[in-house]
Amino acid sequence: MLKFKSAISNRAPAIIKIIVLLVLMLTHTIPLCSQDNAASFPVAPYDRFIVYQTLAIFWIAIIGLIIIIRMKLREIERIQKMGINKEENDIPTLD
Amino acid sequence: MIYQRFNNRFKELCNLKNIKTFAVKKTGGIALFLFIIQFITGMVLSFYYIPYFEQAHKSIVDIVTKLNMGWFFRSFHHWGAQLIMATLFIHTFSVLLSKSYKKPKDLLWFSGFVLLGISIFFGLSGYLLVWDEKAFAAVKVATGGAGSIPIAGVFIKSFLRGGIDVTGETLTRFHAFHVSILPVITIFLVCIHILLVQYHVISMPLSIKKRANQMPFFPYRFYKYLIICLIVLGIAVTLATFFPPEIGKKADPLAPAPENVKPEWYFLFLFQTLKLFPGEIIGLNGEMIAVAVISSGILFLFLIPFFDRRTGPKIKHTVFTWIGIVYTIYFIVMTVMGFLS
Repeated sequence: MLKFKSAISNRAPAIIKIIVLLVLMLTHTIPLCSQDNAASFPVAPYDRFIVYQTLAIFWIAIIGLIIIIRMKLREIERIQKMGINKEENDIPTLD
Repeated sequence: MIYQRFNNRFKELCNLKNIKTFAVKKTGGIALFLFIIQFITGMVLSFYYIPYFEQAHKSIVDIVTKLNMGWFFRSFHHWGAQLIMATLFIHTFSVLLSKSYKKPKDLLWFSGFVLLGISIFFGLSGYLLVWDEKAFAAVKVATGGAGSIPIAGVFIKSFLRGGIDVTGETLTRFHAFHVSILPVITIFLVCIHILLVQYHVISMPLSIKKRANQMPFFPYRFYKYLIICLIVLGIAVTLATFFPPEIGKKADPLAPAPENVKPEWYFLFLFQTLKLFPGEIIGLNGEMIAVAVISSGILFLFLIPFFDRRTGPKIKHTVFTWIGIVYTIYFIVMTVMGFLS
């Protein structure tokens, strides 16, 4: 784990540069395909940047939610393996 | 360690049994989720859409250019429809290949098949609402093709078009189908379909049920479905953002059809099949024979539970396995050929 962290931190600036380059490329090239007839995508560069920023935040939120749900699922599986989710047959009642 | 985890997960995903389970069981849930998304985005769009032929195209342009995030809702609605169609075709063909249409699940097959037909008509009716050149030409061809059905074709064509030709009446009629009639029928059939699924799970022999369904739906399966729905939502939003659909020029009923116009991808296999037949066959109209052949093929598929009567999970029927494979390959090959031509 420590080796992995150090490897990532050494290469962090290069990775960040690659991600920024990809985002800039996508910002400028892909929406141009949709400008044949009526403009069906925001034209102003600032509006496009806001759209892509929102999309990135949206994906981060989805990934976060998936991680939380997977943790919940692992908890449920663990409880089921332990067998503590089922009630015992001869459990005493408080009558 | 992380690499090993990813490797194990990748092997798990590529396991044929898991793919089969996903294709048969999970795609139905994905389609239901996408239908709900379509209802929501459709309701939002219907606030601003004007279903009159003189203003329909302009209202779409106004939604996309003047309304805040209007372009996104339209794009999301478009891509939601594409993903529903893809999911439904995967679901239908996987049920066909895994022979899950056999008794007692034949009613499930019938309700599902009708739902597939309704979804295709949803797509066609929604496509016309843009009222651009491509949509006009596509609906003209589609309704014209329906008119070639023997006996009932003329009635079906005039019922769909609201007259002899595609006019403003057709737009009003398709809007009524898309916004009121089809949603009501869809909700009714989806409820029946889900109830039948639950009934067949409940009525399964206990020995099989204990092995298959050790976990109740809530919370275990619910959370698994939630993960899949979140991923599907992310894919739909990404496609809607990067590939918004274009709006063509306003339709002119008097102008000729644009060159190289093609229908939507889920009609391409029909389009290519029509191209295979010559104009005249033994003195008869080639188009009518083509439509008759296609209709009988679809009817055979619909009634397949009556033909494949061998029941039981381990009883094989090689002929019907090959029929399923032929149908699947034919659909894929013809769709790809339609794209490339």
